[in-house]
Amino acid sequence: MHAQRIPALAALAAASALVLAGCAAGNAAPAADVTAEPEYSGELSILTKFGGEPLGPYFETLAAEYEELHPDVTVELIQETDQSVKDKTKTLTASGALPDIYFTWAGNWAQNFIDGGLAADLSEVIEPGTEWGDTFGEASLSAFEVDGKYFGIPLYNNGKFMGYNTAIFEEVGIAVPTTFEGLIDSCGPIRDAGYEPIAFGNKDGWPALHYLQQLFAYNVPSDVLHDDFSPATATLDDPGYLAALEQFKTLVDECTDTGNGTNGVLYTTAQEALSGGRAAMYYQEILEFDTVTAEGNTLTPDNFGIFALPVPDGANGEPGAIEGSPEGYLINAKSPQAALAVDFMKFATSKENATILSSPPYGQPSTVVGAVTPETSSVAVYDGITKANEASELVIWLDTVTVPEVADAWLAGGEALISGGSTAEEVLESVRNASDAAK
Amino acid sequence: MLLTQQSRPVEGATAAITAVAPPPRTPRRRGTRRLLGLAWILPAVVVLAVFVYLPLVQNLGFSTLEWDIYSGSQEFIGLDNYAKLVGDPIFWSSLGNNVLYAVVSLVFQVFGAIVLAAIIEGIRSDRWRRSLRAIYFVPSAISLTVAGLLFYFIYEPNLGMLNSALDAIGLSAWAQPWLGQESTAMIAIIVMSQWQGFGYSTLLFAVAIQRIPSELYEAASIDGIGPIRRFFTLTLPLVREMTGLMVIVTITGAFQVFNEVMVMTSGGPNNSTQVLGTWLYRNGFVRNDFGYAAAIATVIFIITLGIALVQLWLNRRRRVEW
Repeated sequence: MHAQRIPALAALAAASALVLAGCAAGNAAPAADVTAEPEYSGELSILTKFGGEPLGPYFETLAAEYEELHPDVTVELIQETDQSVKDKTKTLTASGALPDIYFTWAGNWAQNFIDGGLAADLSEVIEPGTEWGDTFGEASLSAFEVDGKYFGIPLYNNGKFMGYNTAIFEEVGIAVPTTFEGLIDSCGPIRDAGYEPIAFGNKDGWPALHYLQQLFAYNVPSDVLHDDFSPATATLDDPGYLAALEQFKTLVDECTDTGNGTNGVLYTTAQEALSGGRAAMYYQEILEFDTVTAEGNTLTPDNFGIFALPVPDGANGEPGAIEGSPEGYLINAKSPQAALAVDFMKFATSKENATILSSPPYGQPSTVVGAVTPETSSVAVYDGITKANEASELVIWLDTVTVPEVADAWLAGGEALISGGSTAEEVLESVRNASDAAK
Repeated sequence: MLLTQQSRPVEGATAAITAVAPPPRTPRRRGTRRLLGLAWILPAVVVLAVFVYLPLVQNLGFSTLEWDIYSGSQEFIGLDNYAKLVGDPIFWSSLGNNVLYAVVSLVFQVFGAIVLAAIIEGIRSDRWRRSLRAIYFVPSAISLTVAGLLFYFIYEPNLGMLNSALDAIGLSAWAQPWLGQESTAMIAIIVMSQWQGFGYSTLLFAVAIQRIPSELYEAASIDGIGPIRRFFTLTLPLVREMTGLMVIVTITGAFQVFNEVMVMTSGGPNNSTQVLGTWLYRNGFVRNDFGYAAAIATVIFIITLGIALVQLWLNRRRRVEW
């Protein structure tokens, strides 16, 4: 061996040792004490999903007010968008740098953090029956309950509804459809009147998943659907899946102007088509209601209405189900500031701040009981949250309720169905394969 | 023109150096100087080791693990991730997209750019030459993300400029959802990329052509050689070095494509525009399979390392000087 190679090999060996040392280190750290009396000093880091306008200022204002109340506390905000928060959270998790408080969806997304010991057990401070816990709707708290323990702080509720322009419906002379077939039938007259019936943008893939999940809930019996979310129990052989996929394809082909090119359109472009008065309908979350009717838009709160995606005739699932779930925050189980983090979140979910969150321009319907009222929230937001509360079942988003491999297969399948690259049977087969591989 | 390997020291200069040369150093002084030399390069070596080589080695380690980022557990699985690569159809289609990207880029950004540079440098008017160089270079000054967004809106099926233009000239049958269907999405991205990178390559070739002595072209003209033959017998051989460099840079760049795909399609629809970089990202950050993502990163590293080695080998050839 040449003498020069020895240092190089030694360096390689040292580096490998470092790697192995890193492997062995794991995520060991003392558990956070969320019941302790908070020490009002130091830095508190928070990762939110409220990046950009109009939501960005909400946490900025909260942080400024909290710092004013507790001058020795500095709040470091990391504000991301709906899309970027996924990458940011995983990067911070992989590098062991999760903030003290971080955003979460319900379902498999939150479950990963809970299973990994990264979410503090908040049962002692937030479970129903506690002072703080009783300020929330019980269903919202249970979205983050695992084995009788409560891990999440639900900040707002969410649900998916078809938003429509009442003026266009009036002009065309059609009523709110009561069946899925009726919805499809209404598209022709709307198009004849010069409007796009349903604006739809699927560049990011997940908007198609929202349609699919609602249609699955209508077409597949609830117990089967829930078994199919987990690869361990999934069979994905219920005929309701094929029916739902075909209904979705019909909607894309019959009711959107973009048709098989919908994958090339941003969801915000579709949103703007409704808010600009060019489209009659757009399937959207409650969180978007105040955005599409914001000042300056052609669509005003007065001519904006919502309805649940109509149920297809003969569907065998749960007709009263609405797709949606609360979204909230977890507290880092290894945070040395866990007690302070709980105190900040109590401040964020006070009745006053919850009411502000539920009102325009934010329009995020708080999970705090009594925060969403016809006086404080827009008519549409109040209507949406009432419908969500009255739903027989809230079905969590398809991209967060199941494991990532299966969600990704649904996402690619939705895109292929839209473009015509795959049939409904081929899509279902690819998802089955992904689910089998994830067992 | 000379073909040289190394310049010889002039005899007089050697004598002068000998005249003022210090007395021979003792082994101890030589050792001190060597240590001092090592101390000077140590910071650079440390930075390189920590930020380049250590992550490379770590990545190799990660590629042999099944790694749960949530629990922090890491299980050694040997070469399983590499075996998975072999059976992953999206990995192969991603690699195919990278190859397609490289081939198209070679055609446009290397051979097309040489031709354009030769045409521009052949223009007599200084003002026109300068203006054209600037015009072709402008797209390269735009960030790739901005260019991606710009083209995203050009390709938009309903409101996009491309379909509107086709419609305006009576070719509405040619209008397509360019980024929305599997058959056109990858080509649409590659076209944007060529638009963005073409001017930069042209400028580099223009500089290389400017370095060719004008006497050679004058002599060729006197001998009655036409512009096309001049291009093939004079320009092309004399920009060989730049061509070699650009071929390597273009191919390497084609295997590191990421931004434009993420901005325009995120790898969709139906994974039809996945390239190795985005497939790596998707497995790591969407599917939580960081071990598999590390294996893909290793493949990208091996490909780009291979290309770099070819470049080193080519650089050993004799340079053209005049």
